[in-house]
Amino acid sequence: MSNPKDIGHLMHLYLDEIDPGKGTEAPEFLIKASAHLLNQKGGRNWVPIIVRETSEDCYELIGNSFIYAVAEEAGLERVWCVIADDSQETAEISQILAGETIPKINLSKASRDEIKAALEYLIEQPSSPIKSIQLATATNRIDEAPRQYWKTFDPITNLKCGITKGKKLDALKQIFYLEPQPLPDVITDISLLQAMTTTDLKAMAKKRGISGISKMKKDDLVAALSQSP
Amino acid sequence: MTSMTMNSLRSVLQSLPENAGEAIVVEHFSNPLLEALGFQPHEIYPQYPMGDRKAVDKAARKTIGNDIFLHSGSNPYLLLELKGRNCNWANNSAPYQSTVHQLKQYLLAPNCKSVQWGIITNSCHIQLFRKHGKVVFPATRCLPLNLEKVDEIVASIRKKIEKPAKALTVTIYNNKGGVGKTTTSVNLAGILTLLGKKVLVIDFDPNQQDLTTSLGLSLSDGKVLSALTNRDIELQNAICSYSFAIRNRNKDAEVKFDVIPADRKMANKADEILKDKIPKTGARILHRKLEFARQKYDYILIDSPPNWRFFSKLAVYAADVVLIPTKHNNLFSIENAATAIKTFIPEIQAEKADGTPVALPIFFNGERTTDPQLTVAQKEIQNIIKKAREEDRFDLLPYFFSKYTKAHPDCDIPKIPSYVNIASSAFSRVPAVYRDRTALEYYKDLVKEYFLI
Repeated sequence: MSNPKDIGHLMHLYLDEIDPGKGTEAPEFLIKASAHLLNQKGGRNWVPIIVRETSEDCYELIGNSFIYAVAEEAGLERVWCVIADDSQETAEISQILAGETIPKINLSKASRDEIKAALEYLIEQPSSPIKSIQLATATNRIDEAPRQYWKTFDPITNLKCGITKGKKLDALKQIFYLEPQPLPDVITDISLLQAMTTTDLKAMAKKRGISGISKMKKDDLVAALSQSP
Repeated sequence: MTSMTMNSLRSVLQSLPENAGEAIVVEHFSNPLLEALGFQPHEIYPQYPMGDRKAVDKAARKTIGNDIFLHSGSNPYLLLELKGRNCNWANNSAPYQSTVHQLKQYLLAPNCKSVQWGIITNSCHIQLFRKHGKVVFPATRCLPLNLEKVDEIVASIRKKIEKPAKALTVTIYNNKGGVGKTTTSVNLAGILTLLGKKVLVIDFDPNQQDLTTSLGLSLSDGKVLSALTNRDIELQNAICSYSFAIRNRNKDAEVKFDVIPADRKMANKADEILKDKIPKTGARILHRKLEFARQKYDYILIDSPPNWRFFSKLAVYAADVVLIPTKHNNLFSIENAATAIKTFIPEIQAEKADGTPVALPIFFNGERTTDPQLTVAQKEIQNIIKKAREEDRFDLLPYFFSKYTKAHPDCDIPKIPSYVNIASSAFSRVPAVYRDRTALEYYKDLVKEYFLI
């Protein structure tokens, strides 16, 4: 547990008392070249590592693992650290602010501008699996879909915007998460009904006591269900 | 009763300390101001929350049925942001600009979709802004408030907020030709109609008549000219209707928008001939003749001719906002956009004196772009911005790089990509957005970027 009076303070800690956690994926070149320069330019890490105290004189790294790796490579005995509190929120935001993890947005209620910016980011990543999709089309279709009710990302594959199951859909999970609303008991919204399967529509029509279901096609079902009961 | 309110507002202003800080202005000036604008105390919500820990000083809405704004806090209509008298707003100062920026952010906040008006005041100056969809533009200039003028100014603001124009008037202009003004006008009309908006599009380029031709309509035979030159003749007479049958899921639907075609009698007339028939202050004539349309349509789109002569001046004068298509690979189109923004539009603003028209950020229209080309274009734009700042003391930055901040120099400019079906559409007499799914998605993206919430 971090000592409350240390929280927020800058401390010069022994490197071997800090557990680096899962480490950094930075390329060897960046680590070695930075370590070399760090030694040449005074040997002080002005950008601190973010840690929390796990027990007395034991720390765990929660942010800036790249700097830890550089300090280790440079052979520093001690590094400058900021002591953070123990909460999970602090660990998450530290990693996001350090640029180590990608922030996700809530697709259930994100604005169109947010969706567009997120997709644009993903498309522009080197060797992005969704490099070939049309930004305008994907943004329009995802924005207009009844995403507030989605429990999974699978409906995106039915939007005909070039995002298929597998690598492309998985890429989207890096930037989006879902906090779905429960489906209302009675759905009359046409676009929402059209997005549902015929089987689901038939089940709903049966519940609502609509007659002649067996002969109805999808459009007929949508038309019947969109009438308010 | 009215005169009592007026007196009280004047006396409120009189009794404010000479250098009243923000808290004093909020406490003593804001409620009398809102009451003079027609709002009762229970129709005013102080510190209206914006989410993300921010709040605007006051929000207001008239009671609708049993829905009292102070109780429900739902569907605000007007936002009021106040500053202290120490906040100097003269001459487009930095504190003024940052207050405008703050108000714009509030107006576009997700819980303010219903808001139509924003006011900023420090009790020395006041300015009214209109929000139409996503577009925020001034509805008055930044007006100095003094004891003699305060009642008159607030009364005129009240008149505006009680009867907002339904339409946003957008003039599509670039003094360089061939940048796709007509293609943009036609497809904006098409997509906005498809999205359920009521649209009037005006072909105001009588020499080229491209818009009229590209929709397969016939030219007007003097109706526009006579409406512009005779005070008793309405422009309404010149309206035609364009309709297109859309096949959708086995059902046929018809989409329809109104068009004022180019007038053949106006073709090849030297500007001077017309100028004689229209009084000296004639640039306002189109604006005035469109009065009927501003309550009837959601969007009035004016396809302006290039150059900066009489017709283009009429078209720009009539606009709330000016949309400027450019081509990234055509330096002239970018330089001309800069000239329009820093010279022509302010010229009309000075004449019109209600704060409009204002330029929307530019967009790149319909060319194949590669990254190196974009880099060249961005460099050129940065040079143009730098030059305008040094030579004209004019800040072009928000009109070119609308997302740019010092900490995040984002040079992104919206674009309609090159697409063969957009360019070839004129031959089929149908807007590209009705013929082609991809064109539709591009233009839908553009209208959502600029106009629609």
